[in-house]
Amino acid sequence: MVVLRASGRVDGEDFDLGNVIGSGDGETGVAHGEILLAFSDAVVGGDDAELDAARVAVIDALGQEAFVDAAGAAASFNSIVRIADATGIPVDEFKQDAAREILDDLGIEEFSSGMAN
Amino acid sequence: MDARSLVIRDDLATARENSWDRLASPGTWWTGPERIAIAAETRRATNCALCRARKEALSPFVIDGAHDGGGELPDNIVEVIHRIRTDSGRLRKAWFDEALASGLTDTGYVEIVGIIATIAGLDTFDRAIGLPLRPLPAAKPGEPSRRRPRAARKTLAWVDTLADEDAAKEDPNPYPDLEPVNVHRAMSLVPAEVAGFFELDQALYLPQAAIRDLENEYRALTHSQLELIASRVAALNQCLY
Repeated sequence: MVVLRASGRVDGEDFDLGNVIGSGDGETGVAHGEILLAFSDAVVGGDDAELDAARVAVIDALGQEAFVDAAGAAASFNSIVRIADATGIPVDEFKQDAAREILDDLGIEEFSSGMAN
Repeated sequence: MDARSLVIRDDLATARENSWDRLASPGTWWTGPERIAIAAETRRATNCALCRARKEALSPFVIDGAHDGGGELPDNIVEVIHRIRTDSGRLRKAWFDEALASGLTDTGYVEIVGIIATIAGLDTFDRAIGLPLRPLPAAKPGEPSRRRPRAARKTLAWVDTLADEDAAKEDPNPYPDLEPVNVHRAMSLVPAEVAGFFELDQALYLPQAAIRDLENEYRALTHSQLELIASRVAALNQCLY
């Protein structure tokens, strides 16, 4: 989320991170964000029909190349979180202020990864 | 849409094949057959009734029972695999300590983490694009290399890690083309897992140097769109790393 917020600032956007983590109405400010969030949910979830529909929506809106990239990003983070969580690695120092700011904005008190010692 | 007709970038296609090959090959602490057994158990975890009950419970630590394991691996290893695969966001240091107290070595544990992450990445990508679950490859013969970095120390994580600046000349380099940021350092007790997993990860997501280069785009999706997906998937896994 640190990079997401930073990328928005480069483009002069302030994305709604509450909606990114699922606590809002779904409008994030990212182009085609709703479709990409639905695809992410479907990839991690277990409903094959929902995933079929989400795939078609991504391809129709963004094309096949973007669809492969979306699948790659989902696969990357569905695996890398397990490394962070299973080793108890903390967030890098250079990211901690930005991460803390995001957690404060979202009303989350603790990192769920690497600070649960 | 037929997933088999999709064009997969060359770097991603190569990284996927290398990862399948690496899964089946002797590792640093586990043999090829053991690595494939760990990968198979990782897949079984997603259909385990105990894991499902724990996932739905307010605390996973209040639900006892036996995992739906394949019988190839000891119970302590099955517990580690299933918990990391199905509920990693609620792992705690006390659980990790218990895993090591059960007889699992720290090096063996870290290699298991690398195998789980690799098979989870490969399977999630295939599911995402609509490919069926790929059969696990046949294990390759040979012995693990059993090299522990001499300079690995407990400074940062639950496990010993190898700082770039501490690495001894004879230590294998876990960061051949990676910045030693924390998530790369996490598995540096087993350098081959860092290099192997992040070859796949950079192809799935973005090359290291591209992640914070917000002025340029490297994929058909923008940084913001990629990070949106990344953030949502991490949040669904209860990880705000």
